[in-house]
Amino acid sequence: MSDMPERKVGIIACSGEQLAEGTVARLAALRVLNELRPGQTVTICLPLFLAGGAEDRAFACVHPTITVDGCDLRCAAHGTEKYSSKPVASLVVSELVAEHGLPKPEGCRRLNDAGKQAVEVTAQRLAALVDEALGHEGPAAGNRPAAQPAGNGKGEEVTCSCGSGVPVRRVVIDGQTVELVALDPIFQKFRSAGRGPDEATLREVFDMVKLYNDVPPKAEASYREVIHREFIAACQS
Amino acid sequence: MPQEATSSPKGHVVVVPCSGIGKPFGTVSREAAYEICENLCPGKAQIVALAKLVLGDAEARSAVSSTPVVSIDGCKRACAATMVKQSGGTLIREVSVLEAFRQHKDLKPEGIAELNDAGLKLARVLAEETVASLPRAPSAGPARGENHE
Repeated sequence: MSDMPERKVGIIACSGEQLAEGTVARLAALRVLNELRPGQTVTICLPLFLAGGAEDRAFACVHPTITVDGCDLRCAAHGTEKYSSKPVASLVVSELVAEHGLPKPEGCRRLNDAGKQAVEVTAQRLAALVDEALGHEGPAAGNRPAAQPAGNGKGEEVTCSCGSGVPVRRVVIDGQTVELVALDPIFQKFRSAGRGPDEATLREVFDMVKLYNDVPPKAEASYREVIHREFIAACQS
Repeated sequence: MPQEATSSPKGHVVVVPCSGIGKPFGTVSREAAYEICENLCPGKAQIVALAKLVLGDAEARSAVSSTPVVSIDGCKRACAATMVKQSGGTLIREVSVLEAFRQHKDLKPEGIAELNDAGLKLARVLAEETVASLPRAPSAGPARGENHE
């Protein structure tokens, strides 16, 4: 099931270039992605929800997502909810700074000491929220960070979703065209396991599709019917 | 001859770098934007955060629609240029960090949170070339603050 999107926590930072707090948000996200919770987190650039395609907009449908904003405009939180799906949690750096009684961060380009302190506080809170979203305390076994920080991300690339989007398929349900995330990889998973369209498999297929897609309760029967039909067709092809 | 879009009557420009977080090229785009606004054209160029355009923030939309814009993108997805266009802005330059790197292969950027020296130099070169290429360069003259060499 190589194409199946992994269940990782998505982190989206506002990256606000006009404020030091935006830099704090970005660097805190990088610290979690690279050092505190590597392998358990993934990111995407916020603007891709608008500038990208359907596979980019599916990001927060597939990954439980935590947003990190620099200020109370909450561009990342609002943008993610509007164009992808509601984040499971949201952080605002300026609120965290006030909560911890830290001095105001300064320096969009090069953070002052207060800014660096804010990065650490934000990163630690973010890591705790990642654990909460994944349902365990601390980094998962096998994904423990190195004892020493990896060095400011120098020479590394974080797990970025751009260019490796989740496959999306359009189907017609109740006369409406609907985009379903990861439909084909889900079908492939069952077919690779030698499963055919029996009653138990159809039920499991639908349950898995629901994990990755928002199925409106009122339309669940229609969704089920279409997904079953698509799976049967895939098995016959 | 068609008239090329120029910077505003007062020579001001808005600079919109990409929000790239996954690769060093995104960091280069931001560094170049700061170089233009802080060192090459202080008082004449201002950054507008891309996230605000995603949100549809009225102030940000007004800034890009009333002032000529330079976008700086770190990857081929070109989010900055796309968002400026979608927000009703007029681009006078669509700068690509990848293209700049192709022209300066010796300056390979590494590091996301903190660029290596080559990345910082690529950002500075890109910023200087961008300012020099503007129809009416809004330069306020050399006012260098930081020197990364």
